[in-house]
Amino acid sequence: MTHTARVMRVGALTAAFAVLVALAGCSSNGSGPSSGSIPTLDPKTKVTLTFDIQTADPKTNSPQVYAAVKEFEKENPNITVKLTGEPTDTHTQKMQLAGQTDTLPDMFWILDSDARQLNKAGKLVNVKPILDAANLTSRYPATTVKGFTDDGKTYGQPSSQLVTGIWYNKKILADNGLKAPVTFDDLLNVVKVLHAKGITTISNGSNQASFACWSFLRDLSNFGWDQKVNGLLTGTTKYNNPDFKKLYEHIDQLRKAGAFADNVATTTYDQIVSRFTSGQAAMVDGGLWMAAPIQASSIASDAGFWIGPEFSDGVGDQKVSMSVPAAPWAYSAKSAKDPNKYAAIAKWVEFWAGQAAAQTQVDGALPPSTTWNVKIPESQSVFKTGLAAAFAPGTHAPANQPDLMVPTAVGTAMYDSIYGVIEGQFTPDEAMDHVQQALDQAQ
Amino acid sequence: MTWLSSRWKIAVMVIPALLLFSVFIAYPVVYSLVFSFTRFNGFESPAFNGGANYATLFADKFFWRSLGNTAVIFAVTLVVLIPLAFGLALLMQRRIPAAGALRSLVFAPAIIAPILSGLIWIFILDPHVGLLNRILGQLRLPEPEWIGGNTLTPFSVSWVYVWSQLGFAMTIFYAGLQLLPAEILEASEIDGANGVKRVWYVVVPMIRETFIIITVLMITGVFKVFEIVLVLTGGGPVHASETLVSYTYFITFSSQRYGLGMAGAVIVTVLGMIVGLAYLIVARRRQLA
Repeated sequence: MTHTARVMRVGALTAAFAVLVALAGCSSNGSGPSSGSIPTLDPKTKVTLTFDIQTADPKTNSPQVYAAVKEFEKENPNITVKLTGEPTDTHTQKMQLAGQTDTLPDMFWILDSDARQLNKAGKLVNVKPILDAANLTSRYPATTVKGFTDDGKTYGQPSSQLVTGIWYNKKILADNGLKAPVTFDDLLNVVKVLHAKGITTISNGSNQASFACWSFLRDLSNFGWDQKVNGLLTGTTKYNNPDFKKLYEHIDQLRKAGAFADNVATTTYDQIVSRFTSGQAAMVDGGLWMAAPIQASSIASDAGFWIGPEFSDGVGDQKVSMSVPAAPWAYSAKSAKDPNKYAAIAKWVEFWAGQAAAQTQVDGALPPSTTWNVKIPESQSVFKTGLAAAFAPGTHAPANQPDLMVPTAVGTAMYDSIYGVIEGQFTPDEAMDHVQQALDQAQ
Repeated sequence: MTWLSSRWKIAVMVIPALLLFSVFIAYPVVYSLVFSFTRFNGFESPAFNGGANYATLFADKFFWRSLGNTAVIFAVTLVVLIPLAFGLALLMQRRIPAAGALRSLVFAPAIIAPILSGLIWIFILDPHVGLLNRILGQLRLPEPEWIGGNTLTPFSVSWVYVWSQLGFAMTIFYAGLQLLPAEILEASEIDGANGVKRVWYVVVPMIRETFIIITVLMITGVFKVFEIVLVLTGGGPVHASETLVSYTYFITFSSQRYGLGMAGAVIVTVLGMIVGLAYLIVARRRQLA
């Protein structure tokens, strides 16, 4: 055998080995959660649960969750919760990799679409038996439980209630002779008046926050999203339909009228919020979770909350208030194979569905997804304003936020399509075609 | 040294390096290659789909846009970064006051993490709040969209890349220049070669190896530009400022199309190898000629 032939043989063997290892990595190693009754935790047994969430430095950025964990540890002295977190994008990737390598934390925040995949692979605890055993299932709206149930298993519980809308600064509007808008035409008028005076109307930005277009996602519900979504997913309805076109044309109208700052592409989420809280923009596209920073700002007393515009050319009832369960807490089935960990996880599931956790969330200006009666502290005036507007009589909630009802690739295409029009990169037709292409590929 | 020269013993000693190379270099490359022929969303088992991912990428206008942006950075690196770094190294070699401090200043950006470089430059280049447009505004000059627009963003990213790599490239050139034998330079001076001629006919040929090393390093660096884009624009507006790597990252992790992302990664690897090897072959041929 010549030297070259030997080298080639060694190279071929190495490559073959690497391919085999790679293919071995492809194989599924899903493991089912432990079944049967929920074990009880011996009070003398010490258990540590890892809990990984979607905000960096949870103590500062998710004070409600941090407070709830402390409360839980107080109630259960033998359970220690190790709370960690990282920014949403990083966290999502981390959970995807952990799911692939079967190294999920005991408890974690996860995107609903990812949770469904993990559930299919048998990697999540079914929380329904835990909630049923503690008589807590009824504390969630039936639609919430149904929404988080797939393949006969309830794969998580909402981390909170996602309530999106537009915060506005009453003083900026009043100083310019404007009233809070109700319809899209009102909004367009506000934009025209403020733009003429050099004031940014809607603060938003897509830099590392391509998903930060909540109010426009909500607007899809005003153009028949709920009626169309099944058809979109099965291919019988096209995204580039005449109803959605009207919405994209309205977004384009807002852009042309000067609704947005000229640096949307370079603006980050934190800058979106601070532009509004510092009084440099009349409105911010966001949701109730922004109540805490607004409360802490100098514009707290001027803040109003708007569910979003009513469209004269929309489809169906226009008083759509986007209040839906937020992405879930999910629990590792692998961890639950240890009876003590399973018992500790069950304790947390019960705690989070209970009244104490609901009150802790409200104390931190975060709407809970349960139906407990809670007391809103007097200090949370901004949160109270937001809640009153979001749950005003006559409003109704859609099935879910549109991007959360489609595969992730389609969701990102929807963000691209909306920001594409806002940033002048897409015409309305191009924007819709972009999403349709993603839907076609997903099918 | 007879013991060491035994072939099978040499082979045994190569094994640790071979293992490390296989695990950290060969395996990820083969892994990417295998997955690039599958439809895989990260959780379900991957399904073989032939060359569909490559076909999808080649039909994707954002992929071509990211390739174009990478080409812009590549061109700016060749045309601006390398000559500028060489010029600065020549300047630093002269007896100028505070040369050491100046070298440190020029080198400083090289030790700043790319993510911080991006943060620094966003406060300079942002069209709305950036320092540059504020100054231009004060001077009543047009205020272009340095970042976030359609035209200038790849050039701005290129400039930040040049800024961050300039000190590093200059330092290697400077080290190369220090090794040149003084007597040859003196002889060329005595023979009547002026500054430009001396650099062109004596210095450049003598540090050809340094040029090759820097060019290869900078070229491969171009195919790794990621953090600067992430911080400056996040790839926006709507992927208009993506580079090959940042767009591959987007389709892999944000869009969760792992198979497609791996196809992108394979293309980036192959392109990097082709350009790097092509340059090396051309440079070696010239050296032998």
